[in-house]
Amino acid sequence: MKMTPKAVVIGSLLVLAAVVFVAVILPYADTNQTVPSEIFRSRVSEEAAGRLIYIQNGCVYCHSQSIRKVDWGLGADRIAQAGDYVEDHPILLGSARTGPDLSQAGGEHPDDWHIAHFINPRYTRPVSIMPAFEFLGMDRVATLTSYVQSLGLKAADRRMERQRFWKQEAIKAYEAGPEANVRWLNENVPQGWRDVPNPYPTTEAGLARGHVIYQNFCLGCHGPVGDGMGPAQPWIYPPPLNFTILKGREVSGGVLYYQIMNGITGTAMPYFKRELESQKIWEVGDYVAVYFINQSDANSEPRGIDAAWEP
Amino acid sequence: MSNPSPTYQTAKGFCLTSAFWMIVGTLMGLIGATELVAPDLTKNIGWLVFGRVRPIHINIVLFGFVTPGLLAAAFYYFPRLLKTELYSERLGVVTVVAWNIALVAVVLTLMLGYTQGREYAELIWPIDVAVIVVFLMVFFNFIMTVKQRTEPVLYVSVWYALAAVILTACTYALGNIVWRPSSGALVGIPDAIILWFYGHNVFGLLLTPLSAGVTYYVIPRSVRAPLYSHTLSLLGFWSLIVVYTHIGTHHLLQVPVPTWLKVIAIVDSVAMVIPVMAFLINIWYTAKGRLGEIHADIGAKFVFTGTIMYFFVSIQGSMMSLPDVQRVTHFNNWVVAHAHIGVLGFAGMIALGGLYYILPKVTGRPLYSRLLADIQYWLVLIVSIGFTVVLTIAGLIQGNGWLNGETVYRILPQIHPYYVTRASLGLILVIGAALGFYNIVRTLFVRSGEAVT
Ligand code: HEC
Ligand code: HEC
Ligand code: HEM
Repeated sequence: MKMTPKAVVIGSLLVLAAVVFVAVILPYADTNQTVPSEIFRSRVSEEAAGRLIYIQNGCVYCHSQSIRKVDWGLGADRIAQAGDYVEDHPILLGSARTGPDLSQAGGEHPDDWHIAHFINPRYTRPVSIMPAFEFLGMDRVATLTSYVQSLGLKAADRRMERQRFWKQEAIKAYEAGPEANVRWLNENVPQGWRDVPNPYPTTEAGLARGHVIYQNFCLGCHGPVGDGMGPAQPWIYPPPLNFTILKGREVSGGVLYYQIMNGITGTAMPYFKRELESQKIWEVGDYVAVYFINQSDANSEPRGIDAAWEP
Repeated sequence: MSNPSPTYQTAKGFCLTSAFWMIVGTLMGLIGATELVAPDLTKNIGWLVFGRVRPIHINIVLFGFVTPGLLAAAFYYFPRLLKTELYSERLGVVTVVAWNIALVAVVLTLMLGYTQGREYAELIWPIDVAVIVVFLMVFFNFIMTVKQRTEPVLYVSVWYALAAVILTACTYALGNIVWRPSSGALVGIPDAIILWFYGHNVFGLLLTPLSAGVTYYVIPRSVRAPLYSHTLSLLGFWSLIVVYTHIGTHHLLQVPVPTWLKVIAIVDSVAMVIPVMAFLINIWYTAKGRLGEIHADIGAKFVFTGTIMYFFVSIQGSMMSLPDVQRVTHFNNWVVAHAHIGVLGFAGMIALGGLYYILPKVTGRPLYSRLLADIQYWLVLIVSIGFTVVLTIAGLIQGNGWLNGETVYRILPQIHPYYVTRASLGLILVIGAALGFYNIVRTLFVRSGEAVT
């Protein structure tokens, strides 16, 4: 084959044209009529404005918006469908998960959690490596939050409704004073859990592990001494619980376990069932009980058959 | 053809461009890497937030360091191979100046948050247009030089450079959706497909063919041997243009795009071994038994090392296109490792090799310091391999952890030590870039009468 300038230039342009037809135009014809999925709705203008802030600050380089079949983390219960993206312009699938996928982030936390997190992610997530966005100013942080709360669209709206309902209840309880607040918190824990003491004995090693977990997950809100005065406190309402008020108020190991596992919807208290396995939850619970509440029911009656594991 | 001794101003201009922006690009990478280790170090400096630094890093290393470096060599070998002069040095110099202005605009706009938010297609519309115009200026200069040639046969390097420049002008315009100035995007899934069609072709139709062009020039020259096979050159060239262009969907294997498109992307990502091996066999057989000569020429040494990296990055790339592998490697630092072997180890190494190969020839003087160039070679090599090792390990920790149901947050402390190593390696690379810049400036601007070491 003789490679004349024409052969090179025209030839490769023709190949490119053929490829564009097959790999761009045909797929376009195939996908551009996608029907909206059942969770789809259009964004309101505040959310759309938040999306622009998301683009300008490169959130897309750390956060995907595309859930796969193999995922377990945040949002994994809804595998992405083409119909979820029909108004995304540009589409923000992302190519890296330095942070979690955000396609279903809406309603995962109440607004106050996000505000504290954007001011400085280490306030709510002590070992986070996400940048602080305080420089955006409170208005834009709020706009960005309304975008994040819309992620998941109709599914997010359902979750947000739940957040708003329980937020009111939590505020009511908080404002009625510590006694009423603790009663409200306890009442909402299923009876079975309330009756369960921490089944494992307190040990030095267990407390040391609990301490590490507390520092990596809880310290930003509940504070280094468990009084609820962590750095996130000024942005969170009802404020992070001061553990010392739990003393003498019948808070069992089971209550602590349940609340840590399940979180308290409406308050900034997140659930940790994805991040902490059983032993870790018992141990951080006992750490809180021993050091901050100053009262632990670890390894007390009812006990049943001796625990298989003893120190 | 009036001027008997060519000035190579364009080639020199691109040398300087590449060497300077290599410092900026790697420095941005270092800042980003540091932020992943110590996020509050740059707290509340909005224009240095990670999400803005990262696209600056990527755009500058691609369009500020690697592409100009490869073009510098092309502006040297076009007149040589075609036995004529460059069509217009003046146009060439204007191109260099325009290119640098565009790069400054890239940095400023991205720092201020003016971005279209699409990976590799962030630049806002006016800069998009400027990029297309400079590519067309380069193409015009190349094709007119071809027209006035006195050598009838077009050598492989010329094919690659011509194709790279004109095809990139086209895919850049398509991928950046230049007909929609305000957003530069389509809507929904089609946007992802066209974005990755283009994003993939930044490597496939720009960096790879330009690097192949430089390699085809430097290796046979420095070992003083004819090219091993014309047939392989042909096979490598056409299969690259055919295959590389249509596999961009391997970036979207886990996304709801049409299955037939994924199948094409997977099958032909594996078929990429044809262009890759055609090129590599051709080069390696040309150099066979003559590695001493390659070792003796610092430019050829960079280029040859680049070809070895090309082997690894491409074989790895074909593997990563298999869905079973990508379940683990997607979304994490494994891909970042791959990107660095490709852009730094392969294309970056060859760009530097091209610079060091042509510098003595365009200035008519030896390099200011062969030692400094050698040190830079070792620094770049150590960093390329170091990045690959630590980022691959970090990626495996992330990918396997996620598959087991660990959350992103839980894995962060586990990859922290690798992020620290990675930032340290980044610092070494910035030092390497600074040494290179010093060496190149001293070579270009040595005062007459000054002693050359
Ligand atoms: C350097 C990478 C990085 C960038 C840039 C980044 N994030 Fe994050 N993000 C993370 C990491 C890591 C986490 C997990 C730890 C945490 O919750 O802070 C996270 C967590 C989050 C979460 C909490 C998800 C959850 O419910 O657990 C939200 C919401 C979020 N990011 C939004 C954003 C937004 C909006 C932006 C842009 C303004 C952004 N992020 C930019 C890394 C990043
Ligand atoms: C983002 C802030 C935040 C973080 C992080 C956080 N909490 Fe909380 N926590 C709260 C808030 C707010 C409440 C509820 C306050 C209220 O309703 O009065 C709460 C309540 C609780 C309760 C409920 C006690 C009861 O009697 O029902 C427990 C137990 C608790 N937190 C433990 C933890 C542990 C352990 C961690 C770390 C693994 C943690 N929290 C992390 C904010 C946080
Ligand atoms: C046979 C050749 C190659 C194949 C089949 C291939 C394949 C791939 C695949 C499948 C990905 C996506 C990974 C993922 O997201 O999970 C990828 C990413 C990437 N590749 Fe390659 N690759 C090849 C060669 C190269 C070369 C030569 C370069 C550089 C010059 C390169 C640079 C990159 C970069 C920068 C990315 C990251 C894209 C992003 O930001 O997500 N690749 N490659």
